[in-house]
Amino acid sequence: MLSYILRRIVATLPVMAIVALFVFSLLYIAPGDPAVVIAGDQASPEDVERIRQSLGLDRPFLIQFGDWVWRILHGDLGTSIFTNLPVSAMIAQRLGPTLSLMTVTLLLTIVVAVPLGVVAAWKAGSLIDRAIMAFAVFGFSLPVFVVGYMLAYIFALELEWLPVQGYTPLAEGFWPWLENLILPAIALGCVYIALVARITRAAMLEVLQQDYIRTARAKGLGQGGILFIHALKNAAVPIVTVIGIGIALLIGGAVVTESVFAIPGLGRLTVDAILRRDYPVIQGIVLLFSFVYVLVNLLIDVTYTLVDPRIRY
Amino acid sequence: MDRRTVLKGLAGAGGLALTGGLAAPALAQGAAARTLRFVPQANLANFDPIWGTQYVVRNAAALVWDTLYGIDASLQPQRQMVESEEVTDDGATWTFKLRPGLKFHDGEPVLSKDVVASLSRWAARDPMGLMIKALQQELTVVDDRTFKWVLKQPFPKMLYALAKNNSPCSFIMPERIAQTDPFKQITDYVGSGPMKFAKSEWVPGAKAVFEKFADYVPRQEKASWLAGGKQILVDRVEWVVMPDPATAAAALQNGEVDWWESPIADLVPVLKKNKNISVDIGDPLGNIGSFRMNHLFPPFNDVRARRAVLMALSQEDYMRAIVGDDTALWKPLPGFFTPDTPLYSEVGGEILKGKRDFDAAKKLLAESGYAGQPVTCLVAQDQPITKAQGDVTADLLKKLGMNVDFVATDWGTVGSRRAQKTPPGQGGWAMFHTWHAGADCINPAPYTAIRANGDKAWFGWPNSPGVEKEVTAWFDAKNVDEEKAAVGRLNKAALEDVVYAPTGFFLSYTAWRKNVAGITKGPLPFFWGVSKSA
Repeated sequence: MLSYILRRIVATLPVMAIVALFVFSLLYIAPGDPAVVIAGDQASPEDVERIRQSLGLDRPFLIQFGDWVWRILHGDLGTSIFTNLPVSAMIAQRLGPTLSLMTVTLLLTIVVAVPLGVVAAWKAGSLIDRAIMAFAVFGFSLPVFVVGYMLAYIFALELEWLPVQGYTPLAEGFWPWLENLILPAIALGCVYIALVARITRAAMLEVLQQDYIRTARAKGLGQGGILFIHALKNAAVPIVTVIGIGIALLIGGAVVTESVFAIPGLGRLTVDAILRRDYPVIQGIVLLFSFVYVLVNLLIDVTYTLVDPRIRY
Repeated sequence: MDRRTVLKGLAGAGGLALTGGLAAPALAQGAAARTLRFVPQANLANFDPIWGTQYVVRNAAALVWDTLYGIDASLQPQRQMVESEEVTDDGATWTFKLRPGLKFHDGEPVLSKDVVASLSRWAARDPMGLMIKALQQELTVVDDRTFKWVLKQPFPKMLYALAKNNSPCSFIMPERIAQTDPFKQITDYVGSGPMKFAKSEWVPGAKAVFEKFADYVPRQEKASWLAGGKQILVDRVEWVVMPDPATAAAALQNGEVDWWESPIADLVPVLKKNKNISVDIGDPLGNIGSFRMNHLFPPFNDVRARRAVLMALSQEDYMRAIVGDDTALWKPLPGFFTPDTPLYSEVGGEILKGKRDFDAAKKLLAESGYAGQPVTCLVAQDQPITKAQGDVTADLLKKLGMNVDFVATDWGTVGSRRAQKTPPGQGGWAMFHTWHAGADCINPAPYTAIRANGDKAWFGWPNSPGVEKEVTAWFDAKNVDEEKAAVGRLNKAALEDVVYAPTGFFLSYTAWRKNVAGITKGPLPFFWGVSKSA
């Protein structure tokens, strides 16, 4: 297993390199110029050109790319064109809020969606099942920002239970950390909960038809034991898969959620960097996201062996 | 016990095991009252007011760096760091003396060598600074508190240049920082202004923190814009960047922030209904909407085509698209200069007044030789003001029978494409939309967009000797009457040649919690004199 994990990690390197080259090329093909944004609206073309030169943006594409690769190989993600800060420091600064948001959303999803899916499968065809699936369709259909605004209006403005915006690091206390994340996590989690609940229901329905479930029932095992010990464990592979893949959804959704709730996370940093053509920051984030995707896929594969002992690598 | 307390209790119980204890449930009221939380108009992505000239950088810099002179509410330059100045009879040699006791945030005294280095860096980037630099014989230190600027010929607007509020302002930095190449960004943010920049708390794109500088010695005069006694009445000012206006509005309503610099017009009615919030015009100098036509290529290289567009455009359509139906927020502008300022002029403005004449405009357009070629209209969709104007223009041009090539993109792309001098079909453009801060349009000095010196002019590259002649006349004017006369002629010449198309004058609101006092109207948010009660 260890050698498998190592092989997988090594295999990520060419994937990340290809992604990086693709993104780097795409950015340079796309119109837009960071020097123009820096110089401001009143700047003369000469000013813009001087700034471009000082940033090294006037150099040929291949030299810029080669320079970037060389720095990456030395563990240096470069310096932001705009803030003049190391990209690694900027990413580190923004990682905490995004990881916090994703963690709370993930936990919320697992706690809510899996039981909902199990209950829906158990009560398949009933009013409860239909209500849960209707909720899932509803959650899937609503854009994150709409849910976000609704939540903020109800729970922050009308009821004044929770704050509208911001982020407090965990080091400053659990509640201050959590209270800023509840509404964004619910907004972001809606789609995710709907997806996981539907997959859980489908997987459970399939398992509940199996002979060993009938045997368990015949033996007089309680409904809870059947559902959560026998059935859920055997339905876990697709659920784990969709939870893992859903992390990709979370990253995408975080961009909007972080803007709506003014969370200083990686999503906002990404959007800001793209709009300003802050190439080193975009490249650093893309590399990080690529690595996260590969890592999540690896974790999913490893988790398979835990939930299904028949799977071996 | 309300629900939030219960939630806190539950979360606290759960979190206790994880964190080893709960944080204090709330800030002490006194501490909260000493921190002013402000939502700026845009993200403070960098912090060098000479290298990057965005307004938001200038606004933050005005807290951290002081200037030798400051413009006041009557648009006059007043002494700020300077104690006195002398100018020789020939008007060519200026000698300045600094106020005693000026200190930088690192405790070092402000000396003439710092000023000389700072002015040299500023003069390399600022349009007025470049004019002074072109006349400069020498800029030298006389002693620790005295420095001398010797010119080859008089520059009557010297004090205005050192006081003006448009970017880049002539902020004074320590010599070691000011020696940085003006085209490279500084990384040390030590100033001598009334607040210190808390670099360790800076999250570019999200938060910037300023702390009161205890050793700042304000002038004794009453504060007036960038002049007078800059008394800071809070301990901290926190800038909280909020990209989403709805979030900013909600945060202001429930007291998570204290002051929102530029609420969007759509949300103002909601804020006005809240009894805890005050809403008022933020900057009385407002903004001037504009679209620039490319004077180099057809169809707008022919003045008749440009005039045809001007004859047909309705400023009301543009203004309603930008600010909505609140008529207090806009006024028509038959000219180029900021209304209600001393040099405002409507001379030659008839073409923008009265009923719009589409028939005459179409006739003039045909006379210009327009033959249906595509008009490449650049519109930045990520900026509501430009997007709104672009939509109105597209409609206008279509009504005139023009073939509109509507390029909807982002500001980064517009910003780089407008610099292309190639024909519209080869990566160039025919028109783009923007707006100018009214503070930059009060006279010709900071007004880049009015210049019509061909290749050296702003994007669109208008070439009008008549306009340039009157700009020079303003610079040479001996008194206000001469200035007014020159600006009147300039307004007329700029309209005749259609240097650009003014789409109207518009204002915007600012909003703050009622426990905040001392907010004044001005071209940038002034934090001196602003207090906050619990």
